[in-house]
Amino acid sequence: MDDRMVRVIGILQDSFFPLLKAGVTFTVPLAIISFFLGMIVAFTVAIIRVTRFKPLLPIARFYVWIIRGTPLLVQLFIIFYGLPTIGVTLDAFVSGVIGFTLSVGAYGSETIRAAILSVPKGQWEAAHALGLSRIQTLMYVIIPQAFKVAIPPMANSFISLVKDTSLAATITITELFQVAQQITARTYEPLWLYMEAAFIYLIFCSVLSVMQSRLELRFGKSGD
Amino acid sequence: MIRIENVYKSFGNLEVLKDISLTVEKGEVVCIIGPSGSGKSTLLRSLNHLERITGGRIYIADELVDERLNDKEVSRISAKKVSEICSELGMVFQRFNLFPHMTVLENVMLSPMKVKGVSKQTAMEKALELLKKVGLIDKKDEYPPKLSGGQQQRVAIARALAMEPKIMLFDEPTSALDPELVYEVLDVMKALAKEGMTMVVVTHEMGFAREVADRVVFMDNGEIIEAGSPDNIFSNPTQTRTREFLSRII
Ligand SMILES: Nc1ncnc2c1ncn2[C@@H]1O[C@H](COP(=O)(O)OP(=O)(O)O)[C@@H](O)[C@H]1O
Ligand SMILES: [Mg+2]
Repeated sequence: MDDRMVRVIGILQDSFFPLLKAGVTFTVPLAIISFFLGMIVAFTVAIIRVTRFKPLLPIARFYVWIIRGTPLLVQLFIIFYGLPTIGVTLDAFVSGVIGFTLSVGAYGSETIRAAILSVPKGQWEAAHALGLSRIQTLMYVIIPQAFKVAIPPMANSFISLVKDTSLAATITITELFQVAQQITARTYEPLWLYMEAAFIYLIFCSVLSVMQSRLELRFGKSGD
Repeated sequence: MIRIENVYKSFGNLEVLKDISLTVEKGEVVCIIGPSGSGKSTLLRSLNHLERITGGRIYIADELVDERLNDKEVSRISAKKVSEICSELGMVFQRFNLFPHMTVLENVMLSPMKVKGVSKQTAMEKALELLKKVGLIDKKDEYPPKLSGGQQQRVAIARALAMEPKIMLFDEPTSALDPELVYEVLDVMKALAKEGMTMVVVTHEMGFAREVADRVVFMDNGEIIEAGSPDNIFSNPTQTRTREFLSRII
């Protein structure tokens, strides 16, 4: 083994734990918190759009339009670097959570809306004929069926989100990718370090994929 | 029980119901027959606001259900009122429309509990009694997609009956069924008619109409062409269109 090889292996060994730690303490919490809050936003927006709830409908549409029509990176910059100039200074992690939540909320609302609309019209009609109100119909008849449809795409977006959190490096959050950049700056081994970072993302996402399959199996059972 | 007065309905420029008037008495079984696209479903669906009429008046049990003129509400009908009306009307669809994520028993229990606020215990007793009546007590814990079409439709009837409706509406309840399953559904409907249930049945089962109906209504192209006793309609129709229709399907 030549010296270069020995050096690289040493760097990789030394950096593995810091990278993993950054992943577990920043990447994963950022993804989980943003996804959880984003789901609440997504669900609310989807319900507003499906029920065509007049007072909030324009706001919901505007929100989805803005978020889907602009890059996430730019949104993060506006929140973290832009808002302080008008006196709103937020912690980097909080800025990240806000940015990712808004993103999950907008894209997720489209997924949930599509899932709700995929429930056959006959289900609404039968519920109406039985005297159920629209809200009751949503709660007891439509949403449980839409939920099953929405699980696979939502699980996919969570996996995407875990990878997208690497954008948070640009707003000074010391998540996995940011730490990889720092170590690279010191060691000048970008190829190996970024591959190592990629490998850790791969582990996270593979674990999530397995969980996704379990989830789909569990909820795919009853009914059709 | 039902009074339909000068009802019109258009979908855009397409006029689907043209000046329909029809009265159904308590305990009466009325069968509506007619070619596809003649407006039978639309008429039935107007009774519980699944469609809104564009003109005319509809009364159920002497209560105004809908009154419209040129597609504008003449009398305001609240959402609560609509729900009340729906509770008095049971509806059975061609495609069953059972809730696939609930067991048979849960399907039957849902609306009494949520709409009428009946206790779980009471709803369950009632549901079991109804499932016994339609011969499906042993399927109570199955999910609907596992059942045959005939079984699903009988569950749908039990589900509608759970609300203790005054009137039952059937929209081609056997049209989606394999021929050998038609009878199990018709038998349940016959039993219901015998008990004195007021029924409006859109059907292509002429044997059923002849045997069970007090009155048969023939619709074509959005109009009631002829109405009368089964004997009159099937043996001595006065209108050529009725005769042509009957000669085509019998
Ligand atoms: N939601 C709708 N929008 C537009 N046209 C409709 C709609 N529902 C029914 N129609 C039309 O109204 C006519 C009557 O339909 P329908 O009441 O279903 O007839 P039937 O039940 O006698 O077969 C048909 O021409 C049908 O295409
Ligand atoms: Mg029809």
